[in-house]
Amino acid sequence: MTPNEPPLLSATGIWKSFRRRTKPVLRNAELRVCAGEVVALVGENGAGKTTLLRICAGLSAPDAGQVLAAGSIGYCPQEPGVFDLLTADEHMVLFGRAVGLSRTAAVMQGKKLLQGFGFSSEHGDVARELSGGARQKLNVALALLGDPPVLLLDEPYQGFDRGAYVNFWDHVQTWRDEGRAVVVVTHLLAELDRVDRIVELSIPTAGRAMAAAEVEPESGKVG
Amino acid sequence: MGNAAGRIVTIAEMQGRDLSRRWLALGLLVALPLSFYGALAPHDRHAPIPGGIAMAFSMAGVAIFAVLAARRVDERLALASLRARELMAGRLLCLVALSVPIVGGTAALMAAVSNPPRPWVLGIGVAMVALVAVPFGLAVGALVPRELEATLILIGVVGIQLSLDPSVGLAKVLPFYGPERQIDSSLGSSYPVRTAVAISVVYAAALLVVALLFMGRRVRVRRHPPPTPLPAIPAQEAPARRD
Repeated sequence: MTPNEPPLLSATGIWKSFRRRTKPVLRNAELRVCAGEVVALVGENGAGKTTLLRICAGLSAPDAGQVLAAGSIGYCPQEPGVFDLLTADEHMVLFGRAVGLSRTAAVMQGKKLLQGFGFSSEHGDVARELSGGARQKLNVALALLGDPPVLLLDEPYQGFDRGAYVNFWDHVQTWRDEGRAVVVVTHLLAELDRVDRIVELSIPTAGRAMAAAEVEPESGKVG
Repeated sequence: MGNAAGRIVTIAEMQGRDLSRRWLALGLLVALPLSFYGALAPHDRHAPIPGGIAMAFSMAGVAIFAVLAARRVDERLALASLRARELMAGRLLCLVALSVPIVGGTAALMAAVSNPPRPWVLGIGVAMVALVAVPFGLAVGALVPRELEATLILIGVVGIQLSLDPSVGLAKVLPFYGPERQIDSSLGSSYPVRTAVAISVVYAAALLVVALLFMGRRVRVRRHPPPTPLPAIPAQEAPARRD
């Protein structure tokens, strides 16, 4: 990242609490990602990774802090947000309409995206009949429809087999080369050498205001 | 077709495709009001009232299910720039279309078997049940987070409406009072048809507004401002005037 380069997505000073929890989930969390950059968002369970991603996507409001984003955001939730009884192509038509694509363009772009993940929508199976991995591929493809410049992917490879997992990270490199800003929430440390920066969220404790720290991808050392 | 209209029709189409693959649910949807009516028709000349109002269970039930089943998808669609009112309008379009054959079939059967003095008023009354039930289901679905709570609200409201005498004060403020009086009117009561229709239409409109408000809150997407303002284009100096 060039120091003066404006980020495509920037979240600063994010605080978030939930009514049922006494402690805030996020305390002064920060996240910046530039064009052509891949950031891994890591942290233990309950550290607020999904919460931060939802705030960045605009699906949840922070208690304090500011999010700035250039252009549209493609968001892939952890749980596949799909209709059980619609086919992959029907999902593409529906989501394609939402991002301004015609029916034909949406189906064509969707097929291309799914084929890139090694999944063919030709059988016309409804989502309920797909395997967990295939549903997840559909989930990721829907986030990519319309070519958003910012991609927020919340553990997108769940259910992927080894080949699909490797293929996914190859795609991440492609998206980076296309100039997109990519944030991947991940627990798996094996592929962290394939990202540009790592942002680690920790569970806030008393007296610790900073809940996000950058880690050098090569060494895994907290910076 | 305009962009908004195209999006609404697409939502309606996909909702219809989803529902059309739920054969058992659709069967129950038709069977439920008919079973209420069928159980009472042989010995009660007022059977079209519970038969017609029972259709609220079906139509509101399917509306609730349509909203709650789409909860996770809706926020993604909203993020992709669909508006809450478009999601609601698409669903409404699909459910109204679905209600047409169900209303027609149920009203025709009840008119043929019970032989009411004013069968056309019965038809309108049954249509009013659907008119109120669909927005009622959309509002409940948008308001509560889970199927169980929504189903209990539905059973409670429709059940109380069916149990209460229409002259009781509480019955008059429940959503299906207008349709109930209208069906009653088709069987010989003197309740004015226009009043019953007006009550139903006002209730349906109010429920739709409630549904829209809650849906708007549920799928609200906060659009973020851009990171830096676009660099200002330096104003070109005006060429020197040559007089």
